[in-house]
Amino acid sequence: MTEEEIFNKIADMISERFSIDRDKITKDLNFQNDLDADSIDFVELVMDLEDTFGAEIPDDDAEKLQTVGEAVEYIKSHQN
Amino acid sequence: MKTIAIDAMGGENAPKAIVDAVLKVKPKLRDTKFVLFGDEEKIKRLIPEDKKDRLEIIATSEIIVDSDEPVKAIRRKKDSSMVVAANYVKSGKAGALFSLGNTGALLACGIFIIGRIKGVERPALMPTLPSAKSEQGFNIIDVGANAQSKPEYLVQWAQMANFYAEKVRNINKPTVALLNNGAEDDKGDPLHQEAYKLLKETNLNFIGNVEGNDLMEGKADIIVTDGFTGNATLKAIEGTAGVILRLLKDSLLNNGLRPKVGALLAKPGLTALKKRFDTARYGGAVLLGVNAPVVKTHGRSNIRPIYYTLLQIDKMLSQDLVGEYKKYFSKSR
Repeated sequence: MTEEEIFNKIADMISERFSIDRDKITKDLNFQNDLDADSIDFVELVMDLEDTFGAEIPDDDAEKLQTVGEAVEYIKSHQN
Repeated sequence: MKTIAIDAMGGENAPKAIVDAVLKVKPKLRDTKFVLFGDEEKIKRLIPEDKKDRLEIIATSEIIVDSDEPVKAIRRKKDSSMVVAANYVKSGKAGALFSLGNTGALLACGIFIIGRIKGVERPALMPTLPSAKSEQGFNIIDVGANAQSKPEYLVQWAQMANFYAEKVRNINKPTVALLNNGAEDDKGDPLHQEAYKLLKETNLNFIGNVEGNDLMEGKADIIVTDGFTGNATLKAIEGTAGVILRLLKDSLLNNGLRPKVGALLAKPGLTALKKRFDTARYGGAVLLGVNAPVVKTHGRSNIRPIYYTLLQIDKMLSQDLVGEYKKYFSKSR
């Protein structure tokens, strides 16, 4: 999957989950500051990413993911 | 046929008390199948050959224990009885999940594996407690699924509890009250003031604020509270009741002959009181707002509370509680 495809999938997911305009989602979007995501939102998102991309994201790695761009980069570099 | 997924390894008396309760309730619930998750050998040994109908065992190799950190446990112990049972429910093979194990992990299974109902902001945990006024007791929601709450969450919890009280407890137009630090309309912090306003605008039978000392009086059928306060309140009720009963027993039995004779004479009254405050028949605490009922009973439970919890789960499935929630919250989005 290309970086753009991964970004589009994640952006769709965030738009649906947090009810925000798809156009407003950029790679700089910060989960905590821009989405007001609490710990439940964040774990749901990480598990959704695992299901969608068939990847396993260990807790230590998940804690480091703060922006959409970082999530895209992580999925891209951990693709099978 | 309805199907209940049961974590057979949770709680102090697992798997025996759980299997015994299932065997006891099975003849009463003829349209229900029970799937037990856990140590296959241990579970098998407890089931007589002629009682295997509508029972299935799914072998798992791990157990989530009370000391496990909930979210980490459900992500790491993938072959634990609780997680495998939750995934079974997620796949649609069972309609409800029941466990006596680690409460935090069970909530995490509900929220993260079985998943929230679309339109529900946050699931919440709701037990039924005894009250002085009614044998039906009262519901209190949320008792700790959420450490932080918003006013809108409290309104959704009241709506879910309202459905439950009507459909499962058969209460017509249940009364709903907000737990607050005073009865007047403007009491409380901004969260509770806003929740009060929003609850008043709903079509619920909202009767206003109640204080902590009103709860056990049974002033309302449903008490809505933020998860932090609800958890502290539940623990205070449980702790106080436990201490009073212990002290009462101690003072009657360890103060010579007269109190002992008095206790004997008062026995019918004490038995009636015990029956009134018998929490076992109310079943377990339900996590409402996820795609299937997730139910927790105390880890120390013996057969009786487990038996009643299975009846309660069966009723939730018969009434299609989750289907009702899905319909309601898809409309209100």
